[in-house]
Amino acid sequence: MAEITATINGRQVKAKEGMTILEAALESGIDIPTLCHRPELVPIGACRICVVEVEGSRTLVGSCHTPIAGGMVIHTHSDKVLATRRMIIELLLASHCGSCYMCDKANICELRKIAADLEVGLPRFQMRKNYYALEDISPYIVRDLTKCIMCRRCARACREVAGHNVFGIAYRGFDTKVVVDFDQPIDKEVCRDCGVCISFCPTGALGKPREAKEEKRGKPLIITS
Amino acid sequence: MPAEPDVTRELKEILSRYSGASSDLIPILQEAQEKFGYLPEEVMQRVARFLRLTDNMVYGVSTFYAQFSFTPTGRNKITVCRGTACHVRGGARILKEIERRLGIKPGETTEDMEYTLETVACIGACALAPTMKIGNETYGQMTTMKAAEVLGAKEKAS
Repeated sequence: MAEITATINGRQVKAKEGMTILEAALESGIDIPTLCHRPELVPIGACRICVVEVEGSRTLVGSCHTPIAGGMVIHTHSDKVLATRRMIIELLLASHCGSCYMCDKANICELRKIAADLEVGLPRFQMRKNYYALEDISPYIVRDLTKCIMCRRCARACREVAGHNVFGIAYRGFDTKVVVDFDQPIDKEVCRDCGVCISFCPTGALGKPREAKEEKRGKPLIITS
Repeated sequence: MPAEPDVTRELKEILSRYSGASSDLIPILQEAQEKFGYLPEEVMQRVARFLRLTDNMVYGVSTFYAQFSFTPTGRNKITVCRGTACHVRGGARILKEIERRLGIKPGETTEDMEYTLETVACIGACALAPTMKIGNETYGQMTTMKAAEVLGAKEKAS
């Protein structure tokens, strides 16, 4: 593979052809936050958290799915990029349930971590939430779609990693949700205990049933100024 | 609610005209919807098996489009335009009047399975605002009186 040179944040960076901007940035030690992206999965560029500015491009581009090209001049943390990322997080939080105190995965929640990193507090938008009933009939998995941010990582992990195809995406717009079968609550008939999707879920939407006296996972997120 | 129609034979007939490529999905669903009036779960399952897709893929596609329905629809579909032009000229009142006469809200079907009421963002006949459609017939420059008349005439004809 041919080696190419691009400029990221004013620094000359070497990358292999076919790499995405995200991969090249990570390889040279530049951190770009991601939400819907996982290295194990095919990128879909759904969440737009990883957008970067490429000089000459009309819009910001999603770095997780855009291949890097020689001579690109990329800014990963310009004002415009940061403002866009904050806006996206605010929009996600405006429809997120916000019950972190009660959430088992609060300390390992990627949404919360990115929100803290980007210093996003209460969104300035009107809070508009979709409340769904907690699905806890399965002994292997608890699903709370109120916390779902539609990153589709569960559906892709189920298909691409676990080799099943339990989840589908249905409905449209604000009503879009991850469905199982014909929009049934998830139970042990359709999904066994592989737990792949649980580890891929960035929020508390998918979790293991909580055992008695079990502690919250992860260290409490302490924001230091 | 009528019993689920026996879909096996009729669906087989529809499927026999398709090769089974996944791009056939929407045409098949459209034909099935035309035939059964809605998409029963069994139909979606069979279509999924025919196209080698998962059930939830078919469900995802069919819930994405407003043209597909999952509950039995009435013999006549009434579509009231709620677009800007129709709204300005009183589309809301037309809708209210029809709701009152049929006793149903948009998205619902009368108990005798005669009418299904729907709203649409624009039917593209703004010059005739406010408009409504019954089946494929478009009625323009509606008033509440005219809406009542049209419904009454339909009732008599059927």
